[in-house]
Amino acid sequence: MFAAIEATLPEAVAWRRDFHAHPELSFAEHRTGAKVAELLRGFGCDVVEPGWSGTGVVAVINGCGPGRRIGLRADMDALPISEASGVEFASTVPGVMHACGHDGHTAMLLAAAQYLTESRAFSGQAVLIFQPGEEAGGGARAMIAEGFLDRYPLDEVYALHNMPGLAVGAYASRPGPIMAAADMFSIEISGRGGHAAQPHLALDPVMIAGHVLVALQTVVARNVDPLKPAVLSVSTVVSDGSGACVVPGRVVLTGTVRSFEGAVQDLLEDRLRAVVTGVAAAHGGVATVEYLRDAPATVNDAVCAGYALEVARGLSAAVEGDVAPMMVSEDFSEFLLRVPGAFMFVGNGDGPLLHHPAYAFNDAGLPFGAAWLTGMVLARG
Amino acid sequence: MAPKNRFAEMLPEIAGWRQDFHENPELLFEVHRTAARVAELCREFGCDEVTEGIGRTGVVVVIKGKTDTAGRVIGLRADMDALPIIEQTGVAYASKVPGKMHACGHDGHTSMLLGAAKYLAETRNFDGTAVLIFQPAEEGGGGGREMCADGMMDRWGIQEVYGMHNMPGIPVGHFAIRPGAMMAAADQFEIVVTGKGGHAAKPHDCIDTTVVAAHIIVALQTIASRGVDPLKQVVVSVCTVATDSTAHNVIPQVVKMKGTVRTMDFGVQDYVEGRVKEIAAGVALALGAVAVVDYARGYPVTVNAVENTGFAAEVARAVSGQVDEDTAPLMGAEDFSFMLLERPGAYIFLGNGDTAMVHHPAYNFDDNAIPFGSSWYAGMVEARMPAA
Repeated sequence: MFAAIEATLPEAVAWRRDFHAHPELSFAEHRTGAKVAELLRGFGCDVVEPGWSGTGVVAVINGCGPGRRIGLRADMDALPISEASGVEFASTVPGVMHACGHDGHTAMLLAAAQYLTESRAFSGQAVLIFQPGEEAGGGARAMIAEGFLDRYPLDEVYALHNMPGLAVGAYASRPGPIMAAADMFSIEISGRGGHAAQPHLALDPVMIAGHVLVALQTVVARNVDPLKPAVLSVSTVVSDGSGACVVPGRVVLTGTVRSFEGAVQDLLEDRLRAVVTGVAAAHGGVATVEYLRDAPATVNDAVCAGYALEVARGLSAAVEGDVAPMMVSEDFSEFLLRVPGAFMFVGNGDGPLLHHPAYAFNDAGLPFGAAWLTGMVLARG
Repeated sequence: MAPKNRFAEMLPEIAGWRQDFHENPELLFEVHRTAARVAELCREFGCDEVTEGIGRTGVVVVIKGKTDTAGRVIGLRADMDALPIIEQTGVAYASKVPGKMHACGHDGHTSMLLGAAKYLAETRNFDGTAVLIFQPAEEGGGGGREMCADGMMDRWGIQEVYGMHNMPGIPVGHFAIRPGAMMAAADQFEIVVTGKGGHAAKPHDCIDTTVVAAHIIVALQTIASRGVDPLKQVVVSVCTVATDSTAHNVIPQVVKMKGTVRTMDFGVQDYVEGRVKEIAAGVALALGAVAVVDYARGYPVTVNAVENTGFAAEVARAVSGQVDEDTAPLMGAEDFSFMLLERPGAYIFLGNGDTAMVHHPAYNFDDNAIPFGSSWYAGMVEARMPAA
């Protein structure tokens, strides 16, 4: 199977580079989605449904007998980054770049589709999910909200992500949590604006914001069990002030919270709210908190993670079965909340990290991703 | 799946030793009576060698097996010291020494190892040499370090070493262990902030050390919240703050703070030590004061060797069948870690049931755990050096 997929590599690389040259942002993957649907129809998929959540595409490939319905998912969207990779097929769209390798994931799943439609050497049904909006978040949730899982109740679901730093041809996964839950918060601190030379006549929200930012450090340092991973980062601080001599009336802090367990997530949200409210009150200001639970933790089903690793071991000697979980997040978690499955890292070799302007998806990793996706259907369908 | 029958028979005798130790607690290296009693009993049992005075007041006991065809030597360790706590258990054999108490169950550990000594000296059903280590000063004195520094490991040719601790909250007769880091490294620091004292009504003429100290405490929070990998464990706690003046109208010249750092990884430990020093110095500099940090590394992280953890768990399973082999590590520290730095081995928890936590005035060792603990100690010798 690997050899057959490798033989189609030039074609898959061409698709990948075409996507790379034409990146589209979350929920605007019109060209990509259309191209995906066109290719899937050309392969002879039994069902090709474009238009899921706008630009998403779902395809069905029937095997040669009864069996399980296995979902395979790829993401299609790019990032608002100006490309600095220097490749000849670099982005033709200024300020937009495939800096996370979703072009590669899409090409891998297309290559798997091509193999599965030709061979049909599996039982059950493969359901291919090309989802929009992974980077901005909500693409998976939107497809599920549109009834994807009602229309195609899956027995198991699998997806992958390329990983810089992991050798090409290597795989890594783990049972249980593999990527963190990502919560977002926005804290608005209202004081009373005034002249910066007369702070006693104002109520300085910049000073309160400073105290809030410092006090928030105690949540991870003092409240969370040191055995449980947690991150609370204040990422932006913006005042509505217009000059160096003005005490602004309002400061907004935004940031993110990462955790792996529901109880830790609850504690983090509760403490964040209590710290913000209390510190603001201590200084006579008022703070409001908007707290959004964005992507849930990506938790691999223990049994499915075993299947996923077994398929990887059939393709490579370099398989890490207990990789350290990552504090970044992934909206494939929305599928894993509802369907047992697993998420796999596929080696992208040395090079810049994901989301870096010089990041480059490694086409040498393409057959390993495509073969693993294919293998999951052959093994589990 | 049961303790050795012999220990059920011996339970009243072993519990008698335990309650005698409990009634006569001794602190740190001052375990003279306890060590003398240990040595006396081991001589009565007919142990082959009893050496006192190792690591000041530690006792090392040698028991030879029926045969010694392979030159195998296994070490078993128990700790003997009590704590400066006023006992509130209300038991008939409560501490007779005001302000001292066996509140960590070392009376039980010592007695369980004595029980194993008696059994092994009777049966000698193993091929090699058992070395029993009764150490002083686990509760802060570094008795384990002192015994190692006396050359114990080489002098007795110890090849592997195993230790045990009772654990409230785990049912009696159950065991818990894990490979890798089992207990934390415990470091201590003292930060002395020196500013410029003066009248509290005239802070502008002073450099206020209380404000500097507060800034340092707050900035130290960033070590855990911003610096250390969230997948790695760390605790930085400032525990005492003392001004050199107790007056309400004096800005103190000096503020001293003390605290502890807990880590599970040598790299994280190095990082945290560096950051504590940099933060204290940098924040003090920013506010015009001077901070001097005295950072003392205490007990290192207790790391169970993977293979030896497997051996220890296997013996525990033979004793009880209830073995948690992936228990969460504890942020407490243990000076058995010094022995594990010198020799491969493992440290295991033995259930003490639903009692008060160790170091609590109402804590008491549960004598019902004795047959399980003694069986595990003896079982380690018989399993690692099977009779020829």
